[in-house]
Order: sequence, then structure tokens, then C-alpha cells
Amino acid sequence: MTNATFNIKQLAVQYDTKGPEEILRFALNSFERIAVSFSGAEDVVLVDMATKIKKSVHVLSLDTGRLHPETYRFLEQVREHYGLALEVLSPDPAAVEALVRKKGLFSFYKDGHKECCGIRKVEPLRRRLNTLDAWITGQRKDQSPGTRAAIPVVEEDRAFSSAEHRLVKFNPLANWTSDQVWQYIRANDVPFNELHAKGYISIGCEPCTRPVLPGEHERAGRWWWEEETLKECGLHSGNLTKAANE
Amino acid sequence: MAMHITMVTKIKHDGSPCRKCAEIKDRLEHQGLLHRIDRIVIADERDPESEGMQLAAEYNVTQAPFFVIKEESGITYIYTVYFRFLKEILQRKVAVEEELAEIIEQHPDLDYI
Repeated sequence: MTNATFNIKQLAVQYDTKGPEEILRFALNSFERIAVSFSGAEDVVLVDMATKIKKSVHVLSLDTGRLHPETYRFLEQVREHYGLALEVLSPDPAAVEALVRKKGLFSFYKDGHKECCGIRKVEPLRRRLNTLDAWITGQRKDQSPGTRAAIPVVEEDRAFSSAEHRLVKFNPLANWTSDQVWQYIRANDVPFNELHAKGYISIGCEPCTRPVLPGEHERAGRWWWEEETLKECGLHSGNLTKAANE
Repeated sequence: MAMHITMVTKIKHDGSPCRKCAEIKDRLEHQGLLHRIDRIVIADERDPESEGMQLAAEYNVTQAPFFVIKEESGITYIYTVYFRFLKEILQRKVAVEEELAEIIEQHPDLDYI
């Protein structure tokens, strides 16, 4: 199947009640140029499920240059455990050098994380996604209720699609909770990042991630110095859902 | 090819306009590009029936502002990243850093990739 003939809206409804493995199988069987995105955290469950469906599945990770040593070790552990040719994407060195020269190594504490993430994450990801028809992420609705409440299991990727290149994004774990992810990890002896045992839930770059206290939402462990009020671009999903159903 | 461009801006729950939407409208105006937008419609979060909310639901868009481009051929494109819209549709030069930062600003789900 090509993404031009892919009826995303219909499939999102059809697959919304299906389990992650079924969504993954459908995704991997539908596209040749498809990859699983693996962040070095709980989304390892996707790697586990995907390799059971298709041994030769393509998995990619972003090395921002600022990850925890534990995460680098975990990426290697996953590569060996599953016998993967894990593709590790790196940012454009000239762009990183220019940012550091202009603003130093910790500009995100002052200017917010978006500029740094744009250079270290979005650019290499976009470069690679431009060569694919679809990708698979471990995004879940419960990770950040404010921004993720509307995540469908399959969608057109509005961040990276263009007039010439339509990209499909699968989110097989969208309807799973963190508890379900951990039940799967334990039940299937899936390796996990040792940072989880140190109180980290969400894992990103070392300077921008911290452990959270029991009962705290995982979002509290990321960019905790930034104001919530700045994140105002979302359209209230309750209203969108209502409008869509009418 | 002729195209019809609709810009969707947001009114928040408290009745105030969206900061980012106003900022982008200003940018278009200052760059002399506002005339390229055929229609500006409102997505009023207090009213799911408002035209902008209906368009957001129809195209499964969760961020504002966004642009709906309809080509004469019937093909429709949605742009949620202003700088990419500027580059690809209005054919203006755009700094890569600005475009990248806006992608993550408009798509906070990428925070967890």
C-alpha cells in the first residue's frame, strides 16, 4: 500500500479499539518504507512487539549528544538483545556548533527548550522521515493529558508531511497507560533503561530530565522550569471530538 | 495552479485571542502577505459549531493557527507549521532554525520522541 491510497480517518476509527500488536502488524504489513522510533525509554515495548512480528524491522533512535550515559548503554543493550541494526541519527554538527557558539551549552534554561530540540531532534528526524512513507512512535495519551488527549492510533503526520510528501504516523500505544506498558515489560522480560529504577519516568536529554516524586505526573520530570502558560496552541480536544461526531 | 487559502485562528475558552495566531497574522501583514490569505476563520473554543472548530475536526488538527489550502484540482493540504506554509505555499525564504523551533512548538507531542 502507498500512503496516497491510505484512508487514515477510516483506519483511525477502525483500529482505535485494537491492541498495539495488531496495529503494529497492520503498519508493518502496509508499508515497506517504515521505521519504529525508539527513544531509549518505555517505548522499548514497541521494539519488542515489532521484532516478534518482523525480525528485520527498521528501528531508529535520536542521539542528541546530550543523553544520559545510562540511555546510551541501553541503546546498545537493545541493539544486542534484539539483534537489530539500530539506526542512530545525529544532529547536523554545524547547526549544533553555531547554537553553542552563540548561546552556550545550556541555552534551554534561559530561552526554553524548543530551539535546542529543533536542532538536536527535529532536524535529524525530519531529514530521515523525508525518506520514509510511515513511522511508528510510542506516544501515549496519558503522557501529557493537555497535549496528547487526542492522539489517534494512526494519523497523517502534520509536523512532517508536505504537499509533495505525505507521511503516516502510527501510535500503537496511544490507548495504553503507563501501567499497561510496565505490565508488558515485566511479563515479557523486556530490558529497560536503568534510569527507570532511579525514579525517572519520562527520559530525554540529561540536562532536561529529572526523576519525579511518587504521584507526580511524568511531565513534571521534563522542562520543569518552563511556564505551562506558554503552551497554549492546542485546540481544546473535547470540543473537537464533539464537533467531529456531529 | 490557483489555490484558495484559509487561515484558522483561535479564540480561547476565556474569550481572549490566541497569542500565536495574532503574532502570525501580524507577521503576514508586515511582510505584505496578508492579501494572499483568502479567508480568515475563527476556531472558537467556546463554540464547537464555529467554522474553525469544524475545520479542525474535519482535518483532525489539534493546533492553532493552521492553514487549509485547496487547489483547483480539488486537492487539499493542511499546514500547521507557519514557516513551512510560508516556504512551500507562499514561496518565501525561511530560516531553518525558525522552522524547526516552530515544528516543536506546534507539535508538543514531539517532546517525547
